[in-house]
Amino acid sequence: MKNNQIIRFLTVSLVLIFVLCVFIFSFLAVFINRKGEQTISEIGTAYMSSMSEQVSLHFQTTIQLRLAQMEALVSTISVTENSDEDSVLEALSYNAKARGFEYLALYSPDGEFEMIEGDQVKVTDPQPFLESIKNEEDKVAVGTDAQGDNIVLLGVSASYRMENGKKCIALVGGLHVSYISDTLSLDEEGGLVHSHIVRKDGSFVIRSFDAVGDNYFEQIRSMWNTSSQEAESCVQELGDSMREGTEYSIVLDTDAKGRQHLFCSSLPYTEWYLISVMPYGSLDAKVNALSSQWISVTLGGCGIVLLTLLLLFGKYYDLTRKQVSALDEARHEAIEANKAKSEFFSNMSHDIRTPMNAVVGMTAIAIANIDNIQQVKHCLRKISLSSKHLLGLINDVLDMSKIESGKMVLNKDLVSLSEVMDSMVSIVQPQIKAKKQNFNVQIYDIITENVCCDSVRMNQMLLNLLSNAIKFTNEGGTIEFSMSQEPSPKGDEYVRIHLRVKDNGIGIAPEFMEKIFESFSREDDKRVQRTEGSGLGMAITKYIVDSMGGSIDVQSELGKGTQFSIVLDLEVAPVQEADMVLPQWKMLVVDDDEMMCQTTLSSLKEIGIDADWTMDGESAVEMVKKRHGMHDDYQIILLDWKLPGIDGVETARKIREHMSDVSILLISAYDWSEIEQEARDAGVSGFIPKPLFKSTLFYGLRPFMDLSEEGDGVVEEEDMALKGRRVLVAEDNELNWEVAEELLGDLGLELEWAENGQICLEKFQQSPIGFYDAVLMDLRMPVMTGLEAAQAIRQQDRQDSDIPIVAMTADAFAEDIQKCLDVGMNAHVAKPIDIQEVARHLKNFIKK
Amino acid sequence: MTLKECYTALGGDYEGVVARLGGEGLVKRFVRKFLLDESYSLLRQSLEEENYKDAFRAAHTLKGVCQSLHFTRLCESSESLCDMLRTGCWRPKVDSLFLKVDEDYKQAVQAIQLLDINSAQAVSDMDSRRSAR
Repeated sequence: MKNNQIIRFLTVSLVLIFVLCVFIFSFLAVFINRKGEQTISEIGTAYMSSMSEQVSLHFQTTIQLRLAQMEALVSTISVTENSDEDSVLEALSYNAKARGFEYLALYSPDGEFEMIEGDQVKVTDPQPFLESIKNEEDKVAVGTDAQGDNIVLLGVSASYRMENGKKCIALVGGLHVSYISDTLSLDEEGGLVHSHIVRKDGSFVIRSFDAVGDNYFEQIRSMWNTSSQEAESCVQELGDSMREGTEYSIVLDTDAKGRQHLFCSSLPYTEWYLISVMPYGSLDAKVNALSSQWISVTLGGCGIVLLTLLLLFGKYYDLTRKQVSALDEARHEAIEANKAKSEFFSNMSHDIRTPMNAVVGMTAIAIANIDNIQQVKHCLRKISLSSKHLLGLINDVLDMSKIESGKMVLNKDLVSLSEVMDSMVSIVQPQIKAKKQNFNVQIYDIITENVCCDSVRMNQMLLNLLSNAIKFTNEGGTIEFSMSQEPSPKGDEYVRIHLRVKDNGIGIAPEFMEKIFESFSREDDKRVQRTEGSGLGMAITKYIVDSMGGSIDVQSELGKGTQFSIVLDLEVAPVQEADMVLPQWKMLVVDDDEMMCQTTLSSLKEIGIDADWTMDGESAVEMVKKRHGMHDDYQIILLDWKLPGIDGVETARKIREHMSDVSILLISAYDWSEIEQEARDAGVSGFIPKPLFKSTLFYGLRPFMDLSEEGDGVVEEEDMALKGRRVLVAEDNELNWEVAEELLGDLGLELEWAENGQICLEKFQQSPIGFYDAVLMDLRMPVMTGLEAAQAIRQQDRQDSDIPIVAMTADAFAEDIQKCLDVGMNAHVAKPIDIQEVARHLKNFIKK
Repeated sequence: MTLKECYTALGGDYEGVVARLGGEGLVKRFVRKFLLDESYSLLRQSLEEENYKDAFRAAHTLKGVCQSLHFTRLCESSESLCDMLRTGCWRPKVDSLFLKVDEDYKQAVQAIQLLDINSAQAVSDMDSRRSAR
């Protein structure tokens, strides 16, 4: 509609401008044309006037010249009484001839001509001529000879004797009219202007080539086809101005000869009038050519202007249309976004209402059955579940609004990846179990376990991916969760972490893949409508990954499954990993994943254990048997629970048939609480949760240290290391000292007792350098506490002031342990002292 | 009264101590030594003198010894007292906690004194005495 309006507006204005243009240009053309004509007629008038003047001046000069000649003739040939009449006439004739006069006559007072030279002539209008001559004025007149040719007659006063004896009154010279017209160039062929000389009544004296008839007035009238008012008025006016002796100028638009400029002026010495005629024909042709040129140029200009306008309008229209369409698009998008938002709200309110209804309903049921504890418990459990779900939804929405308003900030703290993985695994275990899905957790190539990042957001991100994977995978499906590391391109302080969550669930439709990371989007599909969620999880995840500077990638195929990969470059935490060393046990790792075996083996190597590995239960049993036969038994076996062929529990049972003296540990990412009893019955000693980080292995294996050391000669081996070592024991309580002496003595140590810190310090001071190998220091002692004593020892100016000091205390508070380390002690053991732990510390610290 | 009975009587962890010290003989030797330990008397005396610093140390030592010998019950009561003395002192509470320590200590001493003396008799003796109280 808007578009149409614009088109209409444009069309109307275009037409208006077009009309205006044409109008203005035509007006200009016509106006200039008119102006041109007017100017040309003015110029014509001026030209003709000046030309007439010139012609008449010329005429005057010519006439004057001729008259002067005549007068000279008269004066030279004077008439004396006794002169010979014939000789006078002869002289006159001769002189006249010499001056070009064709006719010469003596004029009698009664108007008779006595020819001296040439044929008899007759004055056409003798009366005025005679009058002028009589008045002794010089006069010019026209006459005709016998042939009827026009002759110009010039009369000067003279008194020669005529034949009849009378005296003449004037000598008259005659010239052929053509002489005048030739002299005046009145009749130039090809000239622009031609002139006539006429008398007052319109009869011609001298005619130009185009003249017809004898009367110019008649000729004027004849130039119109019919009798015309214009001709009459022209003739009338011409006659009037002739009578009055004024100049007359008019432009005639004749039928026969086109436009003509007519100019009339009187000629001196005569009763004649010069009529100059300038036909406009040729001039008009030129003017018309000019004006047609002008018009075409004007029209061309008009056309160019119009074309330019048209072009501009076209462009403008195009732009407008584009703008309008962009506007439309934007509006469409806004509507879409709005729609998405309202859809989201309606989904959300539905999603929120459902658990809320459950809460309300269950509360009502609980109140109604307040005495039925079972029922109330059931209700409370449902309420609790619903509230948690509700809380999750609301948290998502809050997170999203935080993200959208740019307020989400990441807190950088120390994160143990093993803890992250552990907590992930334990959080999702119940859901996986409920859907009877297979769960594989793998870690490869772990460079470091401790990194700096936002642990809460990291957990949130992984949980989103995992719970999505579980949600969109059918019962019995497989979820894979893996982590691997490689050196980061960002430098040594960083480590690149690859996290991957893969499932073989329903997958994602390609059209939805594009907007999977957009907010408020959830695949609208029958397959997923029953699945609850805010639709914000992926948007939040994407945002977290982005703000951690990482990248997230998704690959999916409908019905085949989905894989999310996250790559993060995280800062390596600058903490020294706790001193994790275990005895050199002989270990066997059994897992169906070779990568996982390799990783575990390298982790074990780092904590001091060289292990064998195999990929299934049967071969594990074989290996155990073989080693047993060689009397070189494994001490610890790590068994994956889910194995191809016989599973972990069964393998454990078979191994137990051959040997009892071994610790068998099940490793699994699953919750083993249900099979724990069965496993224990089968001879499994304990469990270690997957994934097997170095720390997981260390803390998982450490409790089995005692058991295994009792079995084999490891303790003795250790004892050998400590045998004969001299240890100073600071302990205020005699009984405790005795116990310590008794226990540690078994290790082959030589012990010395110091009753308090002071004595301990003194004994140390008095001993030769290197005499004591270590100090076991109680903390709470009279006189001088263990802390003070240790500090004092460290401050001694002795080579062995860095002697290993191991604190013993019943105060196992973290700050106490920290205090011990702060004053420079090497380690801390809790009371009552565990002989193996003390031995281990001593062995670590005592110089070999 | 066997060592096991003795530990049962004084509320201790017989299996634990035997496992840790590695034999009844050694345990018996240390248990008898317990009678000579002065921590208890130091504790009592310090409390009477209101010397809470020493009292704390004495309670702490007593706790430590009990841990070593796995005298669980006495260990717990002395630990409570120790914690109270560590954090500062509210006399009535200290008194009530000491009363418990006192009772447990005396029971332990009695049980140890009866160790290896006519066990059956001793047990019934102890039982009757306990019920009388």
